[in-house]
Amino acid sequence: MKPLSRRTLLRGSGAALALPWLEAMAATGPGAKRAKAPVRMAALYMPNGIHPGMWTPAGVGREFTLAPTLTPLEPFKKSLIVATNLWNQGSKGGDGHYVKLSGFLTCTTVTKTLGVDINCNGISMDQVAAQRVGQLTPFPSIELGVSPVTTGVDRNVGYTRVYGSHIAWSGHTNPLAREINPQSVYERLLRATKPAAGNGPRNDAQLLDLVLDDARQLRAQLGRADQVRMDEYLSVVRSLEERLERATTPAQRKWKPRVAIDPAAKPEAQPKDFADHVRLMMDMIALAFQTDSTRIATFIFGNEVTNQNFSFVDGVKGGHHSISHHMDDAEQMRQYQLINQWHVAQYAYLLGKLAAMPEGESNVLANSMILFGAGFRDGNKHDPHNLPILLAGGGGGRLQTGQHLIYGPDSPLSNLYVSMLDAFGTPVERFADSTGPARGVLV
Amino acid sequence: MLRILFLLAPVLLAPAVWAADPFTFAEAQGLLRTHCAKCHGGKVALGGFNFAQFPDEASLLTRSKVWARAGNLIREGEMPPPGNPALSLEDRDRFSTWIATTLHKGACADGITPPAFPLRRLNRNEYTATVRDLLNIPVNAGRNLPIDGAGGEGFDNAAETLFLSPIHAEKYLEAAKIALDYAMRDPKSRAAFLTPQPDARATLTALLPRAFRRPVTPAEIDRYVALFQAAEKRGDTYDEAISYAIQGVMLSPHFLFRLENSTPDYALASRLSYFLWGGMPDAELFKLAGEGKLADPAVLSAQAVRLLKDQRSREFAENFVGQWLSIRELGRDIKPDAKVAGDYYETEVESGIRYEPALFFHEILMQNEPLTYLLDAPYSVVSSKLARYYGMTPTGIRQQPVRFNLPPGSHRGGLLGMAAVLAVSSYPTRTSPVLRGKWILESLLGTPPPPPPPNVPELKEHEGATPQTLRARLEQHRANPVCASCHSRIDPLGFGLENYDSVGRWRETDAGQPIDASGVLPDGTRYRGVDELKKVLLSKKKQIVRNLTGKMLGYALGRGLTMEDECAVDQIVTAVERDDYKAHTLITEIVRSVPFRTATVRQESKP
Repeated sequence: MKPLSRRTLLRGSGAALALPWLEAMAATGPGAKRAKAPVRMAALYMPNGIHPGMWTPAGVGREFTLAPTLTPLEPFKKSLIVATNLWNQGSKGGDGHYVKLSGFLTCTTVTKTLGVDINCNGISMDQVAAQRVGQLTPFPSIELGVSPVTTGVDRNVGYTRVYGSHIAWSGHTNPLAREINPQSVYERLLRATKPAAGNGPRNDAQLLDLVLDDARQLRAQLGRADQVRMDEYLSVVRSLEERLERATTPAQRKWKPRVAIDPAAKPEAQPKDFADHVRLMMDMIALAFQTDSTRIATFIFGNEVTNQNFSFVDGVKGGHHSISHHMDDAEQMRQYQLINQWHVAQYAYLLGKLAAMPEGESNVLANSMILFGAGFRDGNKHDPHNLPILLAGGGGGRLQTGQHLIYGPDSPLSNLYVSMLDAFGTPVERFADSTGPARGVLV
Repeated sequence: MLRILFLLAPVLLAPAVWAADPFTFAEAQGLLRTHCAKCHGGKVALGGFNFAQFPDEASLLTRSKVWARAGNLIREGEMPPPGNPALSLEDRDRFSTWIATTLHKGACADGITPPAFPLRRLNRNEYTATVRDLLNIPVNAGRNLPIDGAGGEGFDNAAETLFLSPIHAEKYLEAAKIALDYAMRDPKSRAAFLTPQPDARATLTALLPRAFRRPVTPAEIDRYVALFQAAEKRGDTYDEAISYAIQGVMLSPHFLFRLENSTPDYALASRLSYFLWGGMPDAELFKLAGEGKLADPAVLSAQAVRLLKDQRSREFAENFVGQWLSIRELGRDIKPDAKVAGDYYETEVESGIRYEPALFFHEILMQNEPLTYLLDAPYSVVSSKLARYYGMTPTGIRQQPVRFNLPPGSHRGGLLGMAAVLAVSSYPTRTSPVLRGKWILESLLGTPPPPPPPNVPELKEHEGATPQTLRARLEQHRANPVCASCHSRIDPLGFGLENYDSVGRWRETDAGQPIDASGVLPDGTRYRGVDELKKVLLSKKKQIVRNLTGKMLGYALGRGLTMEDECAVDQIVTAVERDDYKAHTLITEIVRSVPFRTATVRQESKP
């Protein structure tokens, strides 16, 4: 029997569901072997640091007890690595917030500027991976958040707030814009697998050809600084063109996802509140991974310095940033910890969601690596020593989970990224200030 | 060579907004020798900076960028680095002011030669407005585009931060389809961009110059006609094929970017319309550009006023005010807590609060009233519900916000009495004199306080504290000299607004305690209550209007200001002051300024 294409199925069913028919999609016949599910990778970033006394587990190695802030992760303890004593040297100094977030996945020091010299001086680890294997999925990566870039520039400290809102950098001067509307993410994922009516991808590609021509001609007339902008434009149009081309040619992927997207399950465009919004974005990450729309995602819970009102959490009254400046006041610290714990609970929600998605004989979580962290430890001090770092999921069997790993003081966070890139199948010799893989992470 | 260095030097300082008397050269040398010589004098030159190489004030100008940076590092307390004796705030101020004044004088000494306009894409709002005008559709086509961040003077139209991500290409394609889908079905819209009879060439010949905002060549038209023909050939209907060709137009960099490389008059037309309308030029601007008349300063002024008087200038007022005063954060990162917000979240109240500053600013512009109305005014622009929220009787007004003369004792009038301003400078659950003081320093006076020194935590000002202890705690905090240096500037300004609660309602007491809305400013000025605070600020109107001018010039230029641009700001402020702070003068002086007209005046400005 000829294996069915995914599109055929979508046309037929219109719904997206894990069904037995999907077994038919696996290539059959002599020599065809069921391909192994790929590894997925996400990074979740929490702004404004943590209550330092309530985070680190007691015990070390496989024998450890979760500290209060991490208790929502109890059901996933066996899938979890808690890493202690990692730091991000590159984000030392500068200001208390912007350099921490923008340098979190690049492990570099961003250039201080209100805009004109914007430069993170590196590429973020997710994009290192995306640039190597992104062509295998409809989207090389997705970048998500819940709030728009904060208005204005911060003249108190001399940084553009663009730095406080972007952790994914595809080039030194290319922060990747985030999608914050869950419905729009959903429609985007859907369109990639099920082209909308209209021109169709082939004709869209023809349009883009002309546009690229325009841009190339124009580029020749421009000064050097403007050429850089036009190059950016050429590059983003080309990336769309490539995607459309992939949509018109049969997938080169050996592995095919077992589910498609359910067009009926569209989330609302304007979630009713912040908590709901975060949940919907977690759902979108899970959906993107489950359907293999992308294998790489980054998400930020809020822009740095956010004063998001957390009074919706029992026992908290006030805004995130102001509470994070706790001044060692017991009451402030109690609330701060509750806010941290709420974030960890959302992380646990995503882990649970992925764990509940079967994939072959295992599940999507077992084939994922989900990083959770903040760019500094204590909200009162803003220093990037002993960062709160969690990694969960099996990484396709590559991660040694169920551990509390304690490193020597000030071990590079970039070492963990080296290990993750290895497990992801895109190994690097070095990443930023790395000194090797992080001990004890990989099998 | 000197000139080039000025052009490149970023201005992080606010020259001419002198908070302190600048050092003399000798005083500055004294400070450098005492505090900096170990690393930056004599034989040592860490970071490539050795102050001993600069024997006099004029020599600073040879490396203005380096000195501007030195001034910022000292102002912000990053230098001398931790472990060395810290400088007093006064010394930091006087030193950085010395650098700013010296560089500023140097930059202005030999005329202004602004940089060329950088290539930049339309931002999200500009894209939406341009598509709306091009196709005559009431559709928010840019709705799904990512929201842009800000650079330069703090606006999202700054070239430096208008980067592109792969998602943009995808969204532009999607947006063009959505917009055209709508436009092709709406007879009113069709009439605006399609010829009465199907004629692809005629349609594109008329559309392209508008879409690209400049004359086009026959070869350019041919390219898009070819797209149409390709679609027709594969069996598309006329409507489908023309729509396909126009999608191509809307994805072209000539449409998506603002290009100023070939046609100065048309570039000027676009600069004017994107400044004051946030959208494309209209037929009159195109015509004047075509006739070569727009560069005439008198014509330019008249056109600026014409654009202001068109309702489209509300777009400008909203975008400018929303970002200048941070009002845009209301409902985004800043959301008053529903439990303390009372009627704030009632539909018409909330929208009325959000729009009030922009509508008020727009009214000042439309009526050519004095800019000092921003500090105190006899009216505001409110709906009946907002008037009631403010405790006034809304006679003669309804649902739509309109100009409303304030009754005596209303405690409103000017930005400081607006709920939007008061809420955006509060915590979700209560007021903060610190945030409000900071807002006044930054948004109005243009002198943002330096960041707190490392390891000195932010103010111990807890959510939920009673006002009595809050004020007491703020005073206690200022007893610490490290904190006092900045907070003696910040807090006393904020105290004056304590009669407004966190969502801008008037109050005489808080938690049973009477409000103390008095303050003592660092220069010894004492005031009591918001009315006297307004008088204090009115005495600084020139500084406030200078700050506004710098912001608006940065907005108009779509980039951060250079030191030479600051010289233009001086000239504009002088003219505005001479004309009793009339709003039109600010706008006309900006569009007539050398940096705004750049390409057209490049020749004439040099001796």
